[in-house]
Amino acid sequence: MRSKLIYLIFAISVLLAGFIIAICLAETVPNAGGVAHAVFAGMQAGGDGAARLEHIGFYAYACQVLLLALVVCLCALGISDRYLTREFLWYMAGSFILSLIVWEQMYSGHQTFLETGTTRYFLGFPVATAWQVYGSWAGAIPLIIIYSFGFRKFIYTKEDEEKFNQLLAEQKKNTEQ
Amino acid sequence: MEAYRQEIILGAVLVYMIFCVITGLWAMKRTKNSSDFFIASRGLGPIVVALALFSSTLSGFGFVGGPGLVYSIGVSSFWMVVISSTGYAVGFFLVAKRIRMIAEVRNCISLPDVVAARYSSEAVRFMMAITIVLGVMGYLATQILAMALVMQAILSGTAIFVDISLITCVVISSAVLIFYCVTGGIIASVYTDVVQGAIMIIAGFLILITATTVFEGGMAEASAIILADDSEAIMPFGAAGIMASFGWFFVFGLGLAGQPHLITKMMMNKNISDNRSILPMSLFGYIMAALLWISIGVVMRAAVVSGTIDPLALPDDAASVFLSIFTNPLLAGVVFAGLFAAIMSTSDAFLNIGTAAIIHDIPKAIRGKSIKNELMWARIVTVLLAILAASFALYSHFQDATLVAILGAFGWATFSASIFPVVAIGLNWKGATVMGAVTAIGSALIINFVVQLAGITLPYGISGGLVSFVTSLVLFIGVSLMTKPPELDDDINTIMNI
Repeated sequence: MRSKLIYLIFAISVLLAGFIIAICLAETVPNAGGVAHAVFAGMQAGGDGAARLEHIGFYAYACQVLLLALVVCLCALGISDRYLTREFLWYMAGSFILSLIVWEQMYSGHQTFLETGTTRYFLGFPVATAWQVYGSWAGAIPLIIIYSFGFRKFIYTKEDEEKFNQLLAEQKKNTEQ
Repeated sequence: MEAYRQEIILGAVLVYMIFCVITGLWAMKRTKNSSDFFIASRGLGPIVVALALFSSTLSGFGFVGGPGLVYSIGVSSFWMVVISSTGYAVGFFLVAKRIRMIAEVRNCISLPDVVAARYSSEAVRFMMAITIVLGVMGYLATQILAMALVMQAILSGTAIFVDISLITCVVISSAVLIFYCVTGGIIASVYTDVVQGAIMIIAGFLILITATTVFEGGMAEASAIILADDSEAIMPFGAAGIMASFGWFFVFGLGLAGQPHLITKMMMNKNISDNRSILPMSLFGYIMAALLWISIGVVMRAAVVSGTIDPLALPDDAASVFLSIFTNPLLAGVVFAGLFAAIMSTSDAFLNIGTAAIIHDIPKAIRGKSIKNELMWARIVTVLLAILAASFALYSHFQDATLVAILGAFGWATFSASIFPVVAIGLNWKGATVMGAVTAIGSALIINFVVQLAGITLPYGISGGLVSFVTSLVLFIGVSLMTKPPELDDDINTIMNI
């Protein structure tokens, strides 16, 4: 399973590289990476948000989706083949879906603001930014929970511990001989 | 109390520095060999490792540069912070268990040691060690300079030290750092990290509370002020745009598992099973401390835009101006001590891994064996490395910033691109080959060097770090797939099956 995962990780990495090249070749927008603030030295302004996304919106959106997929694939790569069970894969799929929801809410919230010019606030930030601040942090919580609470089930079981101790014992024996 | 603001701040910093010196003396008694000096003989408990891990992650950049970046480019820089939960998770899933196992089985004392064991290759060890030394020089120089500038700002505010020079401040701050690193090695480093981490958590929490009281409507009012001035600055991709944000998400998120000063700490815990509690504790500490980054930055940008305060001379002044205007002197003292803590905890980690690369890994890669009296040489090289970095820092400040800027390019992004594939993927995929590893490290170094030296600017805010990371990832896997899979040593094979 892990040997197949590496092909998936490779495919995602190649696709990411392709999208980044596509963005580099896309029609450019003046000051897409920010422009000096008209009044305050040392500050940058973003300017026209819609124009900045006009030619690259799809690629940028897709890059983030690929990155989120890469995150769960990499986490799965860290798990021994024996524990890549259906249960574990469901957990990973759930984690991926949650992070996708956060990303979609953030991106679409920004789009809605660009169209309407208005926004609500949640815990101190515009809604789209609140999804970024709180959602991105919380989006990885399932991974933390799977690692911490599933440690003895997926990461390092009692059986693994015994195997490792056996390896250490063999090494010690060989050294003494 | 306000009349004694500078004295209170100075007192807090002084108490902190005395603590560092005492810790160094205490740790010296526990440092008996190079294994103690570099990895605390893998005897640390979960709380110590957790606090050391997160406090090394958040350097002076987080306390000074972070708020400055929010002031400058708005929410774009949040991406470096909010990705921490994903970054820590990926790091623990991929690295924590196997690096600790290999370290114990092969008695490794450094990251290049682990890599050499995994790939059975001295070439990979050598390239990894060189990458670390180059990165460490850049990081250390900037950290020492930051430490000295902050110290000068504090001391020059008092009547006695009003004319203190930057050189004197470099000497004082480096002396404290060198003292506890030389005497106590990594043991002193991690135990000072515990206190440093605690100070940073408290500072982050208190600053958040203070920041929410600056405007009557709290953070929402600050956000609304920024939105009215330039909506993109407070929207999810900030002033720098979506691709700059994506680059930071990628490089700071996945790249966390490629930072040598962090993953080396994953070799130091006493029990492998402690990892399950180290991960959430580290993340909690990081998030609490990072509140300072976000809250100061947003409030300072809003305060300037609304005319509440004068515009800042430099974005990096955001934290110090916030502390001098909006906080009471006691809190300012805690935060300044926290700032020194953040800088020192990162510096000591770099000093330690840089020394290991110089006295342990490079000689081993070239001569095939370690040098004699490693502990003595470790102490000598620690002093020399710190002096060299301090000299670089001063030269950069007074003469020419190019050298440190070039070395600075070997910072987080280069470590991410060159180390992540080789370590994080290589420890989990048996098909990874020496050729793949050498190609990945080489491409990461070349791309970052070229982008930095040639001053290449990519469209839409795409960073050189992102390009080098994706390239190195593709090359590492691609070249490994095209070359013959290696025969793994039995012990490494067993570990990779666990």
